[in-house]
Amino acid sequence: MGAAASSATFSGERSDLLSWLTTTDHKRIGILYLVTSLVYFGVAGALALTIRTQLARPNNDLVSSHTYAQLFTLHGTAMIFLFVAPFALGLANFLIPLQIGAPDMAFPRLNATSYWMFLFGGFVIFSGAATNEGAAAAGWTSYVPLSAIAISTGLGQDLWIVGVFLVSVATILTSINFVTTVFVYRAPGMTMWRLPIFTWEMIATSLLIFMAFPTLASDLLLLFIDRRFGGHAFDPAHGGDAILWQHLFWFFGHPEVYVMILPYFGVVSEIIPVFSRKPIFGYTGLVIAAFAIAGLSMGVWAHHMFTTGAVNDPFFSFVSLLIAVPTGVKFFNWIATMWGGSLTFPTPMLFAVGFLINFLLGGITGVMIASPPIDYQAHASYFIVAHMHYVLGGGSLFAIFAALFFWWPKIFGHRLDERLGKWCFWLLFVGFNVTFFPMHFMGLEGMPRRVFTYEATGQLPLLNAIASAGSYVMLAGVLAFAWNVVLSARRRVPAGDDPWGANSLEWSTSSPPPEFNFTALPKIRSERPAYDARVKAAEAEA
Amino acid sequence: MLVGRRLFISSAVFGIVLAVAYWLVAHEISGAFLLGFMAFALTFLAGYMIVSEREADFWGDDRNADHPDAEGNLLGTYTIRSPLPICAAFAVTTAVLGVVISPTLAILSLIAVLALGALFIVQSG
Repeated sequence: MGAAASSATFSGERSDLLSWLTTTDHKRIGILYLVTSLVYFGVAGALALTIRTQLARPNNDLVSSHTYAQLFTLHGTAMIFLFVAPFALGLANFLIPLQIGAPDMAFPRLNATSYWMFLFGGFVIFSGAATNEGAAAAGWTSYVPLSAIAISTGLGQDLWIVGVFLVSVATILTSINFVTTVFVYRAPGMTMWRLPIFTWEMIATSLLIFMAFPTLASDLLLLFIDRRFGGHAFDPAHGGDAILWQHLFWFFGHPEVYVMILPYFGVVSEIIPVFSRKPIFGYTGLVIAAFAIAGLSMGVWAHHMFTTGAVNDPFFSFVSLLIAVPTGVKFFNWIATMWGGSLTFPTPMLFAVGFLINFLLGGITGVMIASPPIDYQAHASYFIVAHMHYVLGGGSLFAIFAALFFWWPKIFGHRLDERLGKWCFWLLFVGFNVTFFPMHFMGLEGMPRRVFTYEATGQLPLLNAIASAGSYVMLAGVLAFAWNVVLSARRRVPAGDDPWGANSLEWSTSSPPPEFNFTALPKIRSERPAYDARVKAAEAEA
Repeated sequence: MLVGRRLFISSAVFGIVLAVAYWLVAHEISGAFLLGFMAFALTFLAGYMIVSEREADFWGDDRNADHPDAEGNLLGTYTIRSPLPICAAFAVTTAVLGVVISPTLAILSLIAVLALGALFIVQSG
């Protein structure tokens, strides 16, 4: 296996447009995923800023209620289907073959096909905005009857269905590729129990995708048949069941939350040991916890449906609360890794610590709303908006920036500027908390989510003004990152193969890696082959 | 592949336990069917790993293997670039888009998808 990998190394890769359009190299496909998802993040962020500007003061009329519904629908859809989850797929595309010592993914052409389907799916979703009645406006959850033809009469909703369908099929194909690659293409000596935690988390994520995404695809198909071909799957007047949409959607939707967080657990599990100068604490526990979270997440979907009165609240509450246990194990392991370590705080570590703080806050409110009596009060209020943004924004987004700063030198061969990186972190950290922390109190004051305006009662005007100001601080953080990218690309200070003194196999090859990844592989005798090789080299020098 | 087999078997057992527990507690048909189907899919995967992949043996599973040990082990054919993926993805997109905006586009795109699929298979062979 290894011989074929090492002898098939190429150099002098073309970089014209055609070579990017036809590439099947996992690293280039990974970069395409990363860039595309960041562009979609930019679009989704612009939509979010418009939303926050509209809500900055009461009774504002910057946008109409229908436009506002389109804005939050496209914002949620883009963030979930086109940014947070695909960014992880891009990162995994780039990293998994490098971390396991493989020359490429198991199915390179299928891999490229998946990427292009994802890209085109995004275009289709957004293309609804160009239709007469505008884009889909039923929210990213597209609840029936809001998404039924009787209410959403325009083409935008159909294009949303088709676009999300394409993205979900692409995601399933990619996850098949990941699992096959890891099981079959590991380098000699890279046993499963020596895999980096990020790769383990991607296996758990891929299994979740296998189980959850086909349900979404079938749900969308039923909705499409209802809308275009006179079906009645969700129409109670003809024997259908509107609640069935919610069952099918959340059977996908809650595991999707973990599809959007497990890869980022992997990211911080890679970063924290490097900047603590210690091996990860409790490797086996972290792996088992990942699969426990994945398994349990398949049994909690109806905690999103407590208030329908159509589900068994105690069952879903109990299983939801159980998820706190393996998540707590992970937190314990991350803190124990840092405990007594030689800690340094370059930008990736700052973002990793930011992830821990924000995700902990989101997790705590998650435990609160897993309790039906509290959920009945908080349901569909801004408390839920705060919770989900702390998990996915404060959690995943911070881990995304941690990953960008950490692996940027490996991907592009040069580092991002540290000073600007720290500006980026603090602006995002302060901006994020100023934006989303007040939303807990908005929710408790009774402000419903998805309303386009509100009356000037109680603390709502002040809280909304603070949140809107915070969103512009976040914009400054994102702009600092964009400027960092431009500045670093101009300077192009070479990073070296292993600028951080990291642990996993990708740091043993050049930056950026050559086609087919390795000219020579080090011996793999632990889960830290790059560290082992460094120690061996130092011993040989001594 | 022992770890892989254990992973799928334990996932299947978990799926079955969860489906049965849910039915016993909730007596709710939609969720029970979803969990039951998930348990069936996981059991199928576990069965596949036990029956068809029983003899699977990879260099990656050998704790003491080294790079030169796997000399001559073929990984398959790797393409550096291919125009097929972007064409196939475009054809699939227009096929599903055609169902929304134009049946003719859907039929033409479907023919293109089938042709590209055949080309994939021929090239892989």
